[in-house]
Amino acid sequence: MSMTARQEERPAFWPLGGPVEKTRIALVIIDMQVDFCAPGGWVDQLGEDVSNTRSVIAPIREALVAARAAGILVIHTREGHAPDLSDLHANKQWRTRVHGLGIGDAGRDGRILVQGEPGWQIIPELAPEAGELVIDKPGKSSFHRTTLADELARRGIDRLVITGVTSDCCVQSTLRDGYEHGIECVLLQDCTAAVESPNHQATLEILKAYGGRWGGVSDLSGFHAMLEAANA
Amino acid sequence: MPDAPLPILPTLPPIAARPYAWPFDGRWSPHDTALMLLGFQAGPVASLAAQAERDAACALLAAANGLGMTVIAVRRGYTAGEGPLAARRRTLGDPIPAHGSVEWALDAQIALPQDALLLDIAGDNGFFGTDLEDHLRRRGIRNLLITGLPTEGLVHATQRAANDMGFECLAVADACKGTSDERHAAQLRITTFGNGLFGTVAPAAEVLSALRSV
Repeated sequence: MSMTARQEERPAFWPLGGPVEKTRIALVIIDMQVDFCAPGGWVDQLGEDVSNTRSVIAPIREALVAARAAGILVIHTREGHAPDLSDLHANKQWRTRVHGLGIGDAGRDGRILVQGEPGWQIIPELAPEAGELVIDKPGKSSFHRTTLADELARRGIDRLVITGVTSDCCVQSTLRDGYEHGIECVLLQDCTAAVESPNHQATLEILKAYGGRWGGVSDLSGFHAMLEAANA
Repeated sequence: MPDAPLPILPTLPPIAARPYAWPFDGRWSPHDTALMLLGFQAGPVASLAAQAERDAACALLAAANGLGMTVIAVRRGYTAGEGPLAARRRTLGDPIPAHGSVEWALDAQIALPQDALLLDIAGDNGFFGTDLEDHLRRRGIRNLLITGLPTEGLVHATQRAANDMGFECLAVADACKGTSDERHAAQLRITTFGNGLFGTVAPAAEVLSALRSV
């Protein structure tokens, strides 16, 4: 099968078209932290099912390896709060405490979602390497009260490939805000998950409607093909 | 230094919302709460057949006006110098009305008070590129009642941003309409997930009942 035929079978990776120079593209891995997706982390301690969020570790690892090989920027985000909780809104803390163990409280393995604690760390399978950008965020959106927009502008990056957890929460907030910033975002649907599958499926359907109002939706194989076609 | 005496404010009863009685700390009054009307423009009201949702928002607006509550209205549209944001959407076939067009105008039934803040945006998030957050902080607003079109567009994008800023939000379910019933329902379900990741949801009747109790 020729390259041309293969490209014709697949919808364009970027809703606005391509190919795009690799220097303009970054891979974003959202909140793959112990507290959200590792045994013994916060969600696990709450007795909730982490199998959905754990199921995307291997595909994200594959995307990470491909991004490193292609030489595009990798961005990791971590949701968390300062030890004095000065950046934690009262309603956010209150809502999580209803579950019995809230943000800032002492869990089995340190304080929940507090910077520097074991549970706040990125899981070892996806640990950042030197030269990769790590963004600490107090909110759901990776753009809220962070330097992300400035870092992207400084590097001339205006296309983001988004992965991580959870699709209905921080992933959706980041994609929507990327759109507001004029950054073209594409979500890899096999590299993102939610705790509840119906919310995950609904998020993908909403994002795909109208040709991708806020960004596109593709998958890991689309990502590989896009990198192959991208200009150095 | 002793605190200044607090003014006598009418207090409002909690609203029976999902997933918890709103607001989370029971503190709300006409002085610390704003009503947001997002995208109630002639074009979207007609294309989404959202007359009933507009009417629900109008009833809330009348009650809020009676209490002197802060009112915010947001219009989505593009100008000649729209930039890539609105152009992107139109390229993909999701039309955004042009400034000054019939479709862009606020719905004729929406009667804004004199001191309402009317904002124009090109995207979906009423806070992006506007002074909405400063405006709300200056007025001492901490709680937001949110209505608008579409649920998964202006409403949810604006509520997500407000929530990250710490505002305590309530989406009025039947004063919002999505581009499909399924998207409307799903977006509100996601709003309430995890004990209100993005705030709460309640019907207009519950909100009206609280506003009319003063």
